[in-house]
Amino acid sequence: MFAWYCLAAAVYIAIGVVVLDFLLSFWVGAGYLLVVAWLVPAAVRRLR
Amino acid sequence: MSWAAHDLEPYAIQRHLKLKIAFVPLLFGSYSPDMLTKWFVYGIHLGPWELKASDPAQFHRGWPGFGFTHSLLFGAVLGLLIWKGFGSKLWGLSFMIGQWAHALTDTCDTLGTQLLFPWTFHFHIDAWAYAGQTGRLTDAAAYFSGLGGMWDVVWIVYGLISWRVLTSAYFDSVIYRADAFWPWVNRWVPRGALIVLYRAAFFYGTSRWIAWTIWAHVIHHYPYDLSWGGPHWVPAEHP
Repeated sequence: MFAWYCLAAAVYIAIGVVVLDFLLSFWVGAGYLLVVAWLVPAAVRRLR
Repeated sequence: MSWAAHDLEPYAIQRHLKLKIAFVPLLFGSYSPDMLTKWFVYGIHLGPWELKASDPAQFHRGWPGFGFTHSLLFGAVLGLLIWKGFGSKLWGLSFMIGQWAHALTDTCDTLGTQLLFPWTFHFHIDAWAYAGQTGRLTDAAAYFSGLGGMWDVVWIVYGLISWRVLTSAYFDSVIYRADAFWPWVNRWVPRGALIVLYRAAFFYGTSRWIAWTIWAHVIHHYPYDLSWGGPHWVPAEHP
């Protein structure tokens, strides 16, 4: 799970460096993390 | 002004106070001094109009202005209102501790805070330059080139050393048990999502520290100046 968070962080940082607005709001960061670290893994588990 | 410390300090406080503190009001307290004012400090564009404080530093930290949001009294009063309004002493105290952490941290820049408002003296130790008046991007470049950015590293490293506070086991045994908020939300939101939300501020603070550092020093090559009160290439605000 730690590796998954690191990957999520790498993508977040890559997007943020290009689109600075992405870095400005905690709520955007929390929403992003919710999708990447919970919603997507939960959807993948359900599809299996 | 700090960019990531206010996201990260609550985890360090949480580590030490454990069941004696509620994380959500602690985090809100940590964000609260800037919550309603930061956008007006940097300014925003609404169509042809720019909404921005004429004197951002005065507006943000001064009186007349919203400097009182960075005072100990502000945290105590809002904490008391939360305690009485929600009937939770734990929430009130947690909010106050978070707000105090923010107000104390911001005394480290050159403008400082009116910590003992209504006494309007600015407490400041001048470790890094306050540059909010220069706009968001220059402020970011300056902050991540001076000791402010290094201060954030202290909290990132401390958080990583204290990695257990971010585990699901810690969430279950401490965070969830300490505050009735979590079981209440858990009626609609699964536990897995709650753990992610609990970790969000740490993720956000750490990730954006890295992103802004890359932006400032890999893409734009702003010079580092880790001297006291730096970086000195930016015009710092003083009381």
